[in-house]
Amino acid sequence: MTEPLTERQRWIRRLAGNGAVVTGAAILLVLVGTALFADVLSSYNPTRLVPANRLKPPSAEHYLGTDEFGRDVYSLVLHGSRVSLLVGLTTMLLTSAGGIVIGLTAGYSRRLDVPVMRCMDGLMAFPAILLAIALMAARGPGVWNVIVALSVVYMPRTAMLIRSTVLSLRELDYIQAARALGRRDGAIALRHILPNCVGPLLVQGSFVFAYAILAESILGFLGVGVPPYVPSWGNVIASGKNVIREAFWVSLFPGLALTIAGLSLNLLGDGLRDVLDPRLRVR
Amino acid sequence: MARRAFWLRVLTAFAMVAAFMIAPGPADAQKKGGVLRVGNLGEPPSLDAHWTTASITETLTNHIYEGLFSLDRDNKPIPMLAESYTISKDGLTYTFKLRSGIKFHNGKEMTSEDVVASLTRWGKQSIYGKALFAQVAELRAVDPLTVQMQLKEKSAIVLISLAVPNNFGAIYPKEIAEKFAPEVKVTEYVGTGPYKLAEWKPDQYIRMVRFDEYKSRNEKPNGYGGGKTAWLDEIRWVPVPEVATRVAQVETGELDFADDLNLDAYDRLKGNANARPIISKPYYWLVAVFNKKEGLMTNQKLRQAWQAAIDIEPIMKNVAGGKKEFYRMDSSLAPVEISAWHTKISGLPWDEHNRDKAKRLLQEAGYKKEPIRFMTTQEYKWMYDFALLTKQQLEDVGFNIDLQVVDWATLVKRRNNPKEYDVFTTGIGAAYDPTHHVYLTPSWPGWTTDEGIQKIQQELARETDPKKRMALWEQQTRQFYEKVPVIRYGDLFGLRAARNTVKGFNESTERVRFYNVWLDK
Amino acid sequence: MLAYLVRRLLAVIPVMAVVVTVVFLLIHLIPGDPVSVMLGPDATPTQIEATRKALGLDGPILEQLLGFYGRVLRGDLGQSYFLDRPVTTAILERAEPTLVLMVCALLVAVAIGVPSGIVAAAHRGSIWDRVLMIGSLLGVCVPGFWLSLNFIYLFAVRLGWLPAAGYASLFTEPATALRYMVLPAVSLGFNQSALIARISRSCMLEALQQDYVRTARAKGLPQRAVTYVHALRNALVPVVTVIGVTTAVLIGGAVITEIVFNIPGLGRLVISAILRRDYPVVQGVVLVTAATYVLINLGVDLLYAFIDPRIRYD
Repeated sequence: MTEPLTERQRWIRRLAGNGAVVTGAAILLVLVGTALFADVLSSYNPTRLVPANRLKPPSAEHYLGTDEFGRDVYSLVLHGSRVSLLVGLTTMLLTSAGGIVIGLTAGYSRRLDVPVMRCMDGLMAFPAILLAIALMAARGPGVWNVIVALSVVYMPRTAMLIRSTVLSLRELDYIQAARALGRRDGAIALRHILPNCVGPLLVQGSFVFAYAILAESILGFLGVGVPPYVPSWGNVIASGKNVIREAFWVSLFPGLALTIAGLSLNLLGDGLRDVLDPRLRVR
Repeated sequence: MARRAFWLRVLTAFAMVAAFMIAPGPADAQKKGGVLRVGNLGEPPSLDAHWTTASITETLTNHIYEGLFSLDRDNKPIPMLAESYTISKDGLTYTFKLRSGIKFHNGKEMTSEDVVASLTRWGKQSIYGKALFAQVAELRAVDPLTVQMQLKEKSAIVLISLAVPNNFGAIYPKEIAEKFAPEVKVTEYVGTGPYKLAEWKPDQYIRMVRFDEYKSRNEKPNGYGGGKTAWLDEIRWVPVPEVATRVAQVETGELDFADDLNLDAYDRLKGNANARPIISKPYYWLVAVFNKKEGLMTNQKLRQAWQAAIDIEPIMKNVAGGKKEFYRMDSSLAPVEISAWHTKISGLPWDEHNRDKAKRLLQEAGYKKEPIRFMTTQEYKWMYDFALLTKQQLEDVGFNIDLQVVDWATLVKRRNNPKEYDVFTTGIGAAYDPTHHVYLTPSWPGWTTDEGIQKIQQELARETDPKKRMALWEQQTRQFYEKVPVIRYGDLFGLRAARNTVKGFNESTERVRFYNVWLDK
Repeated sequence: MLAYLVRRLLAVIPVMAVVVTVVFLLIHLIPGDPVSVMLGPDATPTQIEATRKALGLDGPILEQLLGFYGRVLRGDLGQSYFLDRPVTTAILERAEPTLVLMVCALLVAVAIGVPSGIVAAAHRGSIWDRVLMIGSLLGVCVPGFWLSLNFIYLFAVRLGWLPAAGYASLFTEPATALRYMVLPAVSLGFNQSALIARISRSCMLEALQQDYVRTARAKGLPQRAVTYVHALRNALVPVVTVIGVTTAVLIGGAVITEIVFNIPGLGRLVISAILRRDYPVVQGVVLVTAATYVLINLGVDLLYAFIDPRIRYD
């Protein structure tokens, strides 16, 4: 007779059984691998300018060709994943953290709920990219400014999500029971409410990760992201747009990388949503 | 016998065909009418010619305003609004007779009062105006068509200053010149030029239409001057900040003309059946300007180290899209096209690319790897290009460069503040007189206040003998390379494109002019 | 219904208050004195003081904020430093291209998305369903600006079928205007069409499972009538909400599209204003776009409440 599976084992089975989760996670893992091992995998130093090798098409020496300064596009794309993943991951973590704090506050405190909600509504009224651009213009270029700007932009959505989770859980029987038993709200929040937020947070987090990567590349493309000589997918696409006729490969490959990264995270998010919260399913 | 006859016939046929090809066909007849759509880099900061040295402003304002003098094809001053002039024996009094019957766009007739008011305003704001008026004691209207300029000392630069097209002495109606203080931009645009401003929709277009009552000079077109005929009904300047879009729009015919193109587009424009590329010489010479008022670069040895370290040719080649036709290596401070002031001095410490010398100078300078703030912009792509390549070359010999990429408007503002930067990139356009090299003046960003350099500049303003001036200029050039107020790279040429329907365009002027141009559609 | 309307309208006010406050604060995020940055170091002290007064940046912060509120309520968005005209004028001049672009992109998104989603739902599990779903997944992930570049390269430069960039007014030259709009509207609407396709499909699927559909089928109504009449009507209701969200995303996407295609709209205006440090214009445009979004959402909510009475008792 087989032993009944533990809760954890059941979850792992469900996750591993979902095609989208597996595919998305696999691609993401490959991306993380390239970011971590970019130095090893790259054929050339991506920041070294080699004027003599200007705009060379893909070949055995340069798998994806070179850009207008002779930098190897393959190495640029590999190193660009570092910026994208760093920005994406950190933004996701910051928005989750900030969202938890704000969402819990709004969900628990009846007094603060309405004002906090209105503030979040107000922030969400701004088109994300526009707000990000304005913040970048005010603070200046740099990776940390990008992360902060994007976190501010995406935090409200996460906060609202946490809040609605808190609200739906707060009235449940066993929470009421814990209260009646004298447990403090804070302890209840930590032990009972938070763990239930993990699911929605993971789902939301995947999408925020995807938005953040895309937003970073848009900022780079517009010239208001990380400094232009730092390898990032947006910067490379921007540098390729002027020579798209003569050297289409410069803009092409980072764009493909962006698409693949977005694909992996969207798949992951979709899959997680299917597994963790069937109510939200897009069948 | 038959064979000879045969070959004779072939030869004759050949000759006839050849004659047919060589003989001129009916001349391209100029046509009146049409709208010329021109794509340029962006919005001009102003249409007040007195207010700024920006190239875009220069190009646009030279269609609606005119000055007393203009430049001919040899870059020498020739009269424009002036009819004639006389200089007193002692060289201290210039008397200008104005052309009569010149109308402003608002119908008013131009008199000496307009000239005095305009030039006085120009003399307070413009770089070239200020330099000239430092020598002027008085400018007054003698009679409605005569203006007299009284100098404090003999000057070599009166006519040339009144003739330069950049930041020039445009003649406005007196009411406008007096209404707007010199440091404020005018917002009413009335001039005497062949085109008048019809509409200005920022970021959309600037429309200029033919001024029917324009009184052209009788001579043939000569450089920037001479006769001007407004064949086109309208010139429409469209700001297209994306250079790839500018090129594409000329290729597809949405634009008739585009300026400031990236050099990579040359080959494909050559291959286009309906448009042609135009190489413009001179365009700019590339320069890195040092902040000599405050900060690290007040140290002359450090500047000399930079000059010794850089290998200019690969930089120029890369900036020029890899094409030799688009750049020129030259140490002369005046480009080849300004033949009067072009120097050929050998042994100058220009383009030495001597790393050992650079390292030695760094040590002598006591440089401790502090970050040097190097400001550039991507809006002029070639600035960013040469800045990035320079950074790598310098860091290879031990410099620590903090490259700050900002937008052009910010750069232009920041470069006026000595606390904000150590070096910035820009391009120097043609200067028609030695005293017009702005980077040698104390008030232009960078603040070249060196006594030795200023002494020669002042002598150049006074000395009227051309041979002596040239000697002074050569001396100044040597001093320039010793004291290194700025780093001179090479000459970059520009790329423009025109549809084949655009005729009569003068390809040899530094900046574009569309009077005398017609559309053959 | 009226009660809901009033409640909804009242909820807008605090949201707008937050919006106005955030817009006001944007200027104060700049390190250093924003007025000096704007005017440059050449500015004389008198000029700086005058500009500070004109922008309402003199006095304690709370006073400034209240002053800003007052001006906004009066419709005075200030004066553009670079353009020498009121911000409101500058915005009105550029509104048309952006609105046209957004409407066209929305039309493209709906015209491609809704039918695709419905067809996929109706043929659930088939090869078409699979193809459409993979296509829509890719559609969501492809970066819009990269797509624009590739479109220009392919259709304008290589094939020469469409113009590379530019804009013509729909009201003066409709035919040319449409030619100029094709590439921008398609590249802007493409991402959203994928999203709309997925949502339409899922709404349609849900509707098809409903009891009344099964009842209708049991009653013997022909298959097609059942599908496309009954289910469709109910399925489209959530799609209306999506249109509201889509508009917000389109506003952001329009900024980039306008730059790539050189369309003289609000997106180009705000970017050049940011580059030129023309802060009144930046504030004005951001304020107007946020307000538009709030109003569109309000409209969508009211429409939704009108269609589906259950919502009103929320």
